[in-house]
Amino acid sequence: MTAWRKNKVYYMMLFPLVAWYILFKYVPMYGVIISFKDYNILAGISGSDWADPWYKYFEMLFKSPYFSQLLTNTLLISCYKLIFGMAPSIILAILLNESRSVRLKRWVQTLSYMPHFLSWVIVYGIAVAFLSETTGLINRWLGDLGYDAISFLSAPEWFRSVLVGTDVWKDLGWGAIIYLAAIAGIDPSLYEAAMMDGAGRLRRMWSITLPGIANVIVLLLILKLGYIMDAGFDQIFIFYNVRVYSVGDIIDTWVYRTGLEQLNFSLAAAVGLFKSVIGMALVLTANKIARRWGGGIW
Amino acid sequence: MVISNGERATGIIINLILIFVGVISIFPLLFVVSMSLTPYGEVIKNGGFLVIPRSVTFEAYNYLFQTSELPRSMLVSLFTATVGTAINLLLTVLGAFPLSRRGLQGRGIILFLIVFTMLFSGGIVPTYLLVKSLGMLNTVWALIVPSAVATYNLLIMKTFFEGLPEELFESARIDGAGEWTILSRLVIPLSVPSLLTIGLFYAVANWNNFFSAVLYITDPNLNPLQIVVRKLLLTSNSLENVMEVVVPTPTLQMAAVIVASLPVLIVYPFIQKHFTKGVLIGAIKG
Amino acid sequence: MKLKAVTAILLVASLLAACSGNKSQSENPSESPSNAPSPSASADPVKIEVMQEGSVTSADGPGFPKDDFVKKELNKKLNIDLTMTLEASEFATKINTRMAGGTPPDLMLISKDQIQSYAKNGVLLDLGPYLDKLGDYSEFVGADEVKKGVVAGKQYALPRTNGLEVGTYWIRKDWLDHLKLSPPTTVEELFNVAKAFTENDPDGNGKKDTFGITGNGISTFSPLFGAFGVTPGTTALGGSTESAPVSILKDGKVGNALYDPAMKDALTEVKKFIDAGVVDPEFLSNKGNTAKDKAFQGKFGIIYDGWSGMIKEAAVKVWKEANPNADWAQLAAPKGPNGLQFAGIDDLGPSYNLLALPKTLEKQPEKLNKIIELLNYVSTTEGNRLVDYGLENVHYTASGDTITITEQGKKENGYTFVYQFTGRPELTYLQTKFPDQADYINFEAELPRLPVVDKLVDIPEGYMKADADRFVQEQLTNFMYGKTPIAEYDKFLETLENTFSYKLYTDSVEKTVAELGLEK
Repeated sequence: MTAWRKNKVYYMMLFPLVAWYILFKYVPMYGVIISFKDYNILAGISGSDWADPWYKYFEMLFKSPYFSQLLTNTLLISCYKLIFGMAPSIILAILLNESRSVRLKRWVQTLSYMPHFLSWVIVYGIAVAFLSETTGLINRWLGDLGYDAISFLSAPEWFRSVLVGTDVWKDLGWGAIIYLAAIAGIDPSLYEAAMMDGAGRLRRMWSITLPGIANVIVLLLILKLGYIMDAGFDQIFIFYNVRVYSVGDIIDTWVYRTGLEQLNFSLAAAVGLFKSVIGMALVLTANKIARRWGGGIW
Repeated sequence: MVISNGERATGIIINLILIFVGVISIFPLLFVVSMSLTPYGEVIKNGGFLVIPRSVTFEAYNYLFQTSELPRSMLVSLFTATVGTAINLLLTVLGAFPLSRRGLQGRGIILFLIVFTMLFSGGIVPTYLLVKSLGMLNTVWALIVPSAVATYNLLIMKTFFEGLPEELFESARIDGAGEWTILSRLVIPLSVPSLLTIGLFYAVANWNNFFSAVLYITDPNLNPLQIVVRKLLLTSNSLENVMEVVVPTPTLQMAAVIVASLPVLIVYPFIQKHFTKGVLIGAIKG
Repeated sequence: MKLKAVTAILLVASLLAACSGNKSQSENPSESPSNAPSPSASADPVKIEVMQEGSVTSADGPGFPKDDFVKKELNKKLNIDLTMTLEASEFATKINTRMAGGTPPDLMLISKDQIQSYAKNGVLLDLGPYLDKLGDYSEFVGADEVKKGVVAGKQYALPRTNGLEVGTYWIRKDWLDHLKLSPPTTVEELFNVAKAFTENDPDGNGKKDTFGITGNGISTFSPLFGAFGVTPGTTALGGSTESAPVSILKDGKVGNALYDPAMKDALTEVKKFIDAGVVDPEFLSNKGNTAKDKAFQGKFGIIYDGWSGMIKEAAVKVWKEANPNADWAQLAAPKGPNGLQFAGIDDLGPSYNLLALPKTLEKQPEKLNKIIELLNYVSTTEGNRLVDYGLENVHYTASGDTITITEQGKKENGYTFVYQFTGRPELTYLQTKFPDQADYINFEAELPRLPVVDKLVDIPEGYMKADADRFVQEQLTNFMYGKTPIAEYDKFLETLENTFSYKLYTDSVEKTVAELGLEK
């Protein structure tokens, strides 16, 4: 009885949220069907004819001579960003938490937060200033030291590193915020007890801070796995060029180039659906694994 | 307290790493600021890279602030960043709290359905039709309501709430407190750092949101700052305009970034100071 | 704290007031006639919303001026109420959504691809039946041009007057003088000059830190390919969009550059330049200002660009500031071994976005008539001068055909181009607006260019243009860099046909050319 009453209160609290989700997320969900239709603006979503065969637009993607390369590039760039993007933010948050110099902490926190607000166009400009083969700062230094210039921006072997590097740099401090908030929720008495037991700093980071934020790390990991098919269109679209297509062209840039000529709503929807299905499968798997360890979203 | 040499060395290493992070973050920012203040020819003369501004000129800023739409658009952005964020937080907290309770019946399915919307969506057109039928086209509400909840933030909030000590709630219940009281008297005060974090995420997203405006706003009076800034950047590229435009594109671009993001940049240091380790939990427990 | 709360409330209040106050004027114009009181409808100005890509600057800074004299004049003259909706970024998304959402603008300026797609979707008005009412427009644009708005056999779009092609090699005159070289006129000489710029220290600073040629993307080599009578496709001068227009109209016949035997020679020649290290190793990744920045920095002595990027006052100021000795001069296209010379391509397709009207206007004859009236008016001498230069005797003075822009005009008429719905007499217009640059404009306009027809062609069903374009660009790059030996060129064509169904495209090109009667 009390359980029901308690639940009733919870449902009341949930009501606005659930209503919003139904209205703004589930009501428009019927739009997904245009992936299976020859969408016609005049006929509208429900009035358009079904595509023949129903997988016509999925086939367009799968049949592209570049499909396997696009998929590989998307997954590789995305995985690199996941691995090299999460760890540095976690480490930065832990180090910020450990530093005893309040002033340094504040400064570093504020400064590292700022690059997040630069658009990719500007980041590319900065990248050119540093990395250009002919005028870049780094290559000028290399030249002064007697080394050959490196074509960071147009060599296939460097391109992904540049993508991942700039991405990590841009969101290092921004990504750390959430872990800092999580660390702030750790019970300080745990640290005191550990200190009494003579645990050193590294030990405390490892066995108190890290487990204390593990639930947030797991959550973010699951969510990021869901977006594994998004390798960062905005960035790649600005950074790539014909010489690095083979390592940098991803599904989203392909859709853009294809759609640019043909304004194909159905194709875009079909590709989106394909990406979502893969993302969902990963989320479900990851969540199942996480639940075994007592974490997980539900 | 005695600090061992090992501890001290670790401390120094930590600070050195932090200084390194600070340096790699500050260089490009100095570059942006310097570029916005230096005549472009001067920048080029210096090899396209400047850390300290030279022969300082404010012409890019003067030009930006001439924009008649700028003050108004700032107001719109300020509105979405304040009122919008308040609505975001209200819905998020009200939803995240019950969802963080393991005893809630149907919790799993609700959470699944929520996560589902992160990956699957009906696309732009059906949402546009919905917003249109709600009569929100060309109103500020179109900038706020369709993005009132970010699933990502909701789930983080929920995870933070799950980490709160359950014993506290139990003892409050024994004292006769209802769930609303627990939410307002215990959960919210205990979660200041996380509320600020999520609030910051929402505020920044609202401030930077330009896509909603692209879709739902045609009235120039209701354009948020990001739209106006984007317009400015593209203006100077077109063949026609160059007759009047005296400020070269890159300089203007950098100045626009600064104008467009300064307000959210200055908020952060004020939020930071609340990230002090577990102060609140300690206080309540003690 | 209290103060903050008060400010917040004030803000909310003012914005709420603003939204409700704006409601009436921000409602979509296309819906309004039904709400308007019908008896006096003929006296009320007709609301017309025009949507196009871009943004403007005026004397009052970025955006439209407070006193928009062109709009005022048009409104008064035609008894209309004009709304200009400009979208700088995400234009395609915005207009697609509005079309699909049933709130189209009344008049839109969109690309050929968009026209084709909307036409297929049946949301555009076939303007064929109205053409005879558009007399002033047809006369202004030219009957041959009007035909270019035909898609799938119907007049779904109205082209505007054609623009001028721009772009050629620019060279550091002072470097030439320093090295006692004369401006190169052939490919051979161009190579030698580029080599000298790279190796003989043209800036005299004692360091080997200079190169020959730069540019944005494949266009960097347009004149070099042109010297062999072929084109590898183009990059927009901004460097962001690449396309592969290669169907050249030569001697009254259409041919595809990729199949031209001279293509191999051109690629071999370009490879020679790249191998010699006289070309910007990053020319394919340069975008936006990058190539120009490098050139203005004094790293490169030759750049492929257009007059507006090099010689307008703002640009000159930048390179003069960076290096007071710099002196950039235009270069005619170099002659190839067979004496051919082309500075690039001359796109026979519409050079600007086209006019289109939504099908919904069919049911609003009154509005449709006003739009026709508007299009005719801006095509007349009087109307066109208004949208080109502003008000007579205020912004310009006319004596016969000669227009002189007044001081006030120079200051205030910078935004009027968005009202050039049907276009403008391009060369006269540019030379009047940019009198100091008139010679440079003329020079580039008169350079020989290869006429290509690709933009007129409907993309055939089953041909994945994006994939084929990428393949062509990548393979040409590989030949230029020697990653694929030129001996394998025929294999490249084979793959293009087999894997990328290129035949579908070439067939469509021939069909279009026949339909438009371009072949003689």
